[in-house]
Amino acid sequence: MSLAESAGAGQPVPAIEGVGISRAFGGVRAVQDASFAALAGEVHALVGENGAGKSTLIKILGGRIRPDAGQVRVRGAAVLLNSPHDAHRLGAWTVFQELTLLPAMTVAENLLLGREPRGRLGLIDRRAMERDGEAMLAGLGIHHIDPLALVQDLPLAERQIVEIVRAITQDPSILFLDEPTSSLMEREVAWLFGQIRRLRAAGTAIVFTSHRWNEIVSIADRITVCRGGTNVGTFTEIGEDEAVTLMTGRRVGSQYPPRPPAPAGETALAVRNLSGEGVHDVSLELRKGEILGIGGLAGHGHRELFFMLFGAQQPTGGEIRLDGKPVRIASPRAAVRTGSGIALVPEDRKTEGLLLAMSVRDNMSLTILSRIASVGVIRQATEQRLCRGIMEMLKVRAAGLASPVGALSGGNQQKVLLGRWLLADCRTLLLYDVTRGVDAATKHEIYELMTRLAGEGRSIMFYSSDAEELAHQAHRVLVLREGRIAAELDGTGLTAEDIVAAAMRDRAA
Amino acid sequence: MARTDAPAARLPVLTRERRRILYACAAAVVLFLVGNVVRPGFASPASISAILVVASFVGMVAAGQTFVILIGGIDLSVPWVLNAAAILLATSSLGQDGRAAYALVLTLGMGAVVGLANGLAIALLGVPAVVMTLAMNGIMEGLTLGLSGGLTCASCASYAPPVVQAAIHGSLLGIPTALLLWLGVLLVVSVLLSLTVFGRSTYAIGNNARASFLAGVNVKAMTVALYMLSGFFSALAGVMLVGFGGQASLGMGDPYLFQSIAAVVIGGVYILGGRGHYVGAAAGAVTLVALVSVLLAMNMPEYGRSIIYGVIILVLLLLYGREEGEA
Repeated sequence: MSLAESAGAGQPVPAIEGVGISRAFGGVRAVQDASFAALAGEVHALVGENGAGKSTLIKILGGRIRPDAGQVRVRGAAVLLNSPHDAHRLGAWTVFQELTLLPAMTVAENLLLGREPRGRLGLIDRRAMERDGEAMLAGLGIHHIDPLALVQDLPLAERQIVEIVRAITQDPSILFLDEPTSSLMEREVAWLFGQIRRLRAAGTAIVFTSHRWNEIVSIADRITVCRGGTNVGTFTEIGEDEAVTLMTGRRVGSQYPPRPPAPAGETALAVRNLSGEGVHDVSLELRKGEILGIGGLAGHGHRELFFMLFGAQQPTGGEIRLDGKPVRIASPRAAVRTGSGIALVPEDRKTEGLLLAMSVRDNMSLTILSRIASVGVIRQATEQRLCRGIMEMLKVRAAGLASPVGALSGGNQQKVLLGRWLLADCRTLLLYDVTRGVDAATKHEIYELMTRLAGEGRSIMFYSSDAEELAHQAHRVLVLREGRIAAELDGTGLTAEDIVAAAMRDRAA
Repeated sequence: MARTDAPAARLPVLTRERRRILYACAAAVVLFLVGNVVRPGFASPASISAILVVASFVGMVAAGQTFVILIGGIDLSVPWVLNAAAILLATSSLGQDGRAAYALVLTLGMGAVVGLANGLAIALLGVPAVVMTLAMNGIMEGLTLGLSGGLTCASCASYAPPVVQAAIHGSLLGIPTALLLWLGVLLVVSVLLSLTVFGRSTYAIGNNARASFLAGVNVKAMTVALYMLSGFFSALAGVMLVGFGGQASLGMGDPYLFQSIAAVVIGGVYILGGRGHYVGAAAGAVTLVALVSVLLAMNMPEYGRSIIYGVIILVLLLLYGREEGEA
């Protein structure tokens, strides 16, 4: 009945639709009476702050979790999705925000998981698998990922690409992409958008989330704004300011705070000819009060450089000087103990930064425990007071210091990590992609915090996969390519395009 | 229902960890009550005291096991470290009081050194804990059998020095020494876990070793220290057992591997590390021993006890696993 009737009413039947969806986790309502529909052949963006319910909604529509209330309809028919497998059978595939690849298996094995080519006796034909995996990647224009590489050895961006390839080679009629671009650089985003346009032309309904507004407007046909677990409006045209106002329920000023004047002060950190795995002959200087941006395509030595400066990876040559004195940083522990205090906020806060099941307090005080203990016993009152101070200063939104940090939103988790190092009074902060997957309002707070810390004379070196952010926040930007410094760009008048161009210059040649 | 804008739920006082400790304590009380029904007098002070003394041996081993399980490890070398300790105490003291102090230091030191070897291999060489400690159990078995000559040597005594025996059998203010010793360990380990840098670091490593390393926690040194503690506590249990029984025998450590892990699990320590407390494991040890005693009182044969043991552990793991999923 429905097909003919709705067609008659001039309303196309949505490819997938959620009506009145609700879902709570342990008393917290993640999604509350949300409705959402995506049409075949459209790109539909879901936008909202962290905690607005976007990811939960996508998980429900993708069959990963079940709603407490509400109905999911696929092509007009109500369906019960008990597992992602049910969704797959209906042609709905999802690229979840938390990557789901098997780290100890190869790229090809991951791509062909569940649809392995069979040889004689029904055994897996490994040779065919390698061939098929390579063909899949090549067919989508990807030549730089080795199908035989182990997923765990790939940088985050390449893992994300493999995840995307796995979904789109299933010929989905409905495709969900939950923050697919957060770890991708511009060039890879362009590749992804090419794929999205191709699928759209073929009639696929594509739903995606992103925190980057320029991406959203460049690809989305319609935009649905979420706030507090429900949809607050669907638009074909909406300005960023209006959308942000809707998302936050309040008006936000310019996204980037004014940049303080570049300091001419003393050098805090000097690196000479640093080399090691992934890093070749890098020299740089970081002044007190300076925000030094590090840009470039993912997998070009940024991670290794940050780890070396923090003692988590050992260089094979070169020199590091802190406040003019040469230092050898044997371990993160040694870095914490150097007078100048080097801090690293790592790439993946969940696996490298936080103790998710432990409290906000435990996470914050971890590096200063020995300083606030007498004969090994932690002075509880001191700990409580110091952590509370930082929590208030950073406006961490949590029920209390005793809340498990895993229950906080991404932005608040990032604040806890920053708080850990501020508590240790670190003067040199290495921030690795700290705004990745963080909502607009919290991003703004982090920018303001960086500006303030630099104003206090602290030095900040930060890598970002978002060139826009580097262009606006940094006094200077160093672009790394293949582990070497390819360009040094002055921050004044710098644009994202300049950074991207510097990162890719040699590739074109 | 009214919509609330602040999703921040109030934090429960009774966290999942504390709830599990309560479960373990409640289970022990219930078992004593059931035992008293099956055989009147089961819950008399004298009987409870006797059961607690037996539980203290399991509790000692469980202390070490708790430390290593909290960082996601395990110590499978318990049986023969314990056995070696018992035999070393008897053979090195020759059953003489004059050599008791020397023998005690030697024995407890041996436990710590074996733990050190476990810890070094696990922390520095990256040998998986299961493999390393299982191998160590085999090595200790071989060393013990070889060096003790299977306890067939006629000239060397296999008895603990009388002073050690007297100490374990003695009592202070009506409380058996073994129990007092256990209470002391309970207090020290609890303070260590709850209030110190050492304890906090242990939980941190169990939650996320990589993140702890990147936050400046000395993961390797902590790992080594925790395995040393486990070795030490196994040896201490061996000393107590040989003092309690008077004589060392081969195979006396065998039940303690399963029992120590069971006590830790019953006590609500998360088997993959990071969560739980020794108070729970201690309650778990009491529960376990009380259960065995009740089954004995019911004249349950050995095989029946084994089956019930296994079933209870499985059921608990299933229940706790379910709770895990709620979060």
